[in-house]
Amino acid sequence: MSLQADPESEVLADHAEPPRATAWIYEHSPRNVWRAVFREDNFFLVLSVFIGVLSGLAVVCFRYAIDWARLYLLGTGVVLTPLRVLLAPTLAGLVIAVLVIHFFPRTRGSGVNQTKAALYIYNGQIPFRTAIGKFITAALAIGSGHSLGPEDPSLQIGASLASVLGRKMRLSRDRMRLIAPVGAAAGLAAAFNAPISAVLFVIEEVIGRWTAGILGSVVLSAISSVVVMRWFLGSESMFRIPAVEMSQPSELIAYAVLGVVGGIASVVFASGIGILRPAFKALPRWTQYFQPAIAGLLIGIIAVLGAPQVMGAGYEYIDQAMHGQFTWQFLAILAGLKIVATLLSFVSGTPGGMFAPTLFIGAMLGAAVGGAERYMFPYLTISPGTYALVGMGVLFAGFLRVPMTSVFMVLEVSGNYSIIVPVIVANTFSYVISRGLQPIPIFDMLTRQDGLELPSMEELREEDILQVEDAMQPVEGPVLDAEETVEKALQHIDGSRGEDLLVRLSPGGWSTVTRDHLRALASEGKGTGKLGPLLLVPRIPYLHPDLPLETALRYIERWPLVPVVSRANFQQLEGVVSQRSVLDRYREFGEG
Amino acid sequence: MPEVQEQKASPQRLSRVRLYVRQRPVMLVLLTALTVAFFVFVAALSRAYKDQQTALGNRWFERGIADMSGKRYQAAVKDFRAALLYSRDNYTYQLNLAEALLGMNRRAEASAYLLNLWDRQPEDGLVNLELARIAAQKGQMQQAVRYYHDAVYAVWPSQQERQRREVRLELIGLLLQSNAKGQAQAELIGLSENADEDPVQLSLLGDLFMRADDYEHALAEYRSSLKADAHNAKTLAGAGYAAYELQQYSLAEHYLQDAIKRDPNDKDSAERLKTTEMVLRMDPYQRQISQSERVRLVIEAFTTAGERLQRCAVPSGDGAGRGVVQGGTLSDEWSALKPQITQRGLQRNAGLADEAMDLVFRIERQTSVNCGAPSGPDLALLLISKLREGNRF
Repeated sequence: MSLQADPESEVLADHAEPPRATAWIYEHSPRNVWRAVFREDNFFLVLSVFIGVLSGLAVVCFRYAIDWARLYLLGTGVVLTPLRVLLAPTLAGLVIAVLVIHFFPRTRGSGVNQTKAALYIYNGQIPFRTAIGKFITAALAIGSGHSLGPEDPSLQIGASLASVLGRKMRLSRDRMRLIAPVGAAAGLAAAFNAPISAVLFVIEEVIGRWTAGILGSVVLSAISSVVVMRWFLGSESMFRIPAVEMSQPSELIAYAVLGVVGGIASVVFASGIGILRPAFKALPRWTQYFQPAIAGLLIGIIAVLGAPQVMGAGYEYIDQAMHGQFTWQFLAILAGLKIVATLLSFVSGTPGGMFAPTLFIGAMLGAAVGGAERYMFPYLTISPGTYALVGMGVLFAGFLRVPMTSVFMVLEVSGNYSIIVPVIVANTFSYVISRGLQPIPIFDMLTRQDGLELPSMEELREEDILQVEDAMQPVEGPVLDAEETVEKALQHIDGSRGEDLLVRLSPGGWSTVTRDHLRALASEGKGTGKLGPLLLVPRIPYLHPDLPLETALRYIERWPLVPVVSRANFQQLEGVVSQRSVLDRYREFGEG
Repeated sequence: MPEVQEQKASPQRLSRVRLYVRQRPVMLVLLTALTVAFFVFVAALSRAYKDQQTALGNRWFERGIADMSGKRYQAAVKDFRAALLYSRDNYTYQLNLAEALLGMNRRAEASAYLLNLWDRQPEDGLVNLELARIAAQKGQMQQAVRYYHDAVYAVWPSQQERQRREVRLELIGLLLQSNAKGQAQAELIGLSENADEDPVQLSLLGDLFMRADDYEHALAEYRSSLKADAHNAKTLAGAGYAAYELQQYSLAEHYLQDAIKRDPNDKDSAERLKTTEMVLRMDPYQRQISQSERVRLVIEAFTTAGERLQRCAVPSGDGAGRGVVQGGTLSDEWSALKPQITQRGLQRNAGLADEAMDLVFRIERQTSVNCGAPSGPDLALLLISKLREGNRF
């Protein structure tokens, strides 16, 4: 903002300012330092670290709970017995339904949307009960083989913990609103072992804007939670990343094909949720007791029929796909079956996230496309591992519609920046196709299905922003010079229109004067005096054409004309904005 | 009255305590305490979890080892995969899984695991060896040799020297198989420098030098071996062969005779001895024989070459590029020279023996090219020709 300092306040500041050394000692006295630490903005940063640590600990417990559930429900080996495969998700589904309906009704649905609702509707409030419910039901669901992932529940557990801490610490309403995303970033970072992606996701999908105030807290909480998670679970990446190679630039075409296929798969997946979820919700209430169980049974049948890989989060199978352990035909089948299994689990109201299934589908699809391309074009040096990695990003971009997170997620998970070009190419295709065929992003769709109206981050990102130049108008009448006399100024304005006139100050700056004031000065016998010292308002603010139009709103009420000047030369007038011109522009914008 | 006052005071005190507790510094201390307590709880939980995971991992690993030793590779793969569920980055589990996958001939998967292990411990001997074997099976010789070298200089958990020697022997075997005899010879020299006094090892080295066509080193290794075990028939035969290839026929005869004495069933050595004895007996250039004996040997050689010529029709010219007779054949030459090759003729004309033997050698060389490797006296004459190349009376 290019507002010049107010001369009045400058004077006041001059008088109030104590000598520098004294001021330094005063500011750094123990009492003031102590106060500064507990000032809300600083305290919020400290609290973010605690949120990160506690969320990290909670996510570690959550991971243990999932593993224990899997161990006791499905067995210890890699080859599962058919009876367990059929019974475990079915019976767990029944228990989950009872828990969700009677004890934890808010554990249904997406944690991302509930965090957004806390931010935009509930002033940061997420009941702790939700975290407990999500912990128990999601651990049971994922451990028993429902096709869901632990990331979204982790995110919600983090957000809920943060909300509780914020309430207990009696944070202001503004801070309370922001605390849920801080916890969400911590939870997601710990679940993914990827702090950068978690921060980006929360900024991109939950908060929707980059502000320094919140960014610091989100980063601190994400980092602390990852440190805690790595303390207990180790720092190894989620997958053994194969050697990433792209020998010829022409291979980018192959990656573009993967982007197209991924975009279409994303649309199919999202449309399935769009159609089936409301249909399942519309069924009689008593059916909700059986929906997760039936979904579990169907998933069990898929597993018994030869695809046990679709059960649970499936990270170990992503790893295997990356290392070429499946044929491309089987990989394609697995991608399709995983979409079906995840749809069944999710639309039946079983708590759990869609991040892991998205990664699974993406990896299988990527490796399948890579395998098929290698089969058709043997001269291409295609590595299925690279395609699986890129495929994960493709589904992230197409299904979750988080283009930036999708790129960084792949980079962070792979730890290999040489893959960035294929990822960007494929993700762009996927994102564009998904956006074209499925205008409503998945998170917005879920929000609307739940009867809420939360701001769409995609719409926010793509919203046209009005700038000062959109409301700027040419200057009516002459521009006066502060060095000229009042009489000369009156001669200048003779024959021109407009009551308010701009005055160019020397050596720089702007002011305004009215015709009446000029005439009054002349009648008072000050016609030969210079205009500058006689002005009622010594200086007014000015704007630049590229500033957001909302900046002008701060000045147009007080100043009838606000000059718009070039950034290169502040004395060069580009135009003016007035209250009327700004409001007219907003009205036109609102009318579309 | 005091009781009433006390009753009034206690809620006030309580609210004061509450107020105090709600102050941020106090809340921060409480939060720190809560965090520490939670951390301790998770640490305890984590220990229990890890203990259980370790136990399960070990259980599946032991099953895998049992399946591996029974060569049930498919079951072993499943066992090791299950073990890895509980300790995803366990080096030993991954290594064994890779071995089991190799057992099932699933090289690509095994290679992925091994490369991952190699990234973690590039100095691991077994990982390098397995990667070398995979590369060799894929025909990627350069890569295979690199991994073999890494394995040679790698760290081995036990019997390091023996393991390194075996890896080197495997590498030499591969090099010899792919006819890279020069490289194999270099590796063999390296190996022999560090070889101990074990006669079996020395004899093996001699065999490998023989395969690399390095007969001098081979003979040296056999001799070293014979110092420790002078009666080993195989080593004696090896030494005999090496001496034979070095054209040291007297020495070859000595070793081969000894070898046959130790192992009368060794037909190859007997055959080789027979040839050696013929070379020694039929050579007209040998010293310490009388002039008449020399003449007799020249006549015998000339006759033998003539018979060989008759058995094998030889076109005009000399394949070796020597002794081309313009407008004639070896047969014509032989026929032209035949009348002169008599006892008297040879005694009269000192240069005739050389001329006759020169024709004999050319005939044997040319017929060996056109009609295949000779045997018996013809082979002996061919060997004499090589031995005496350039030597004249």
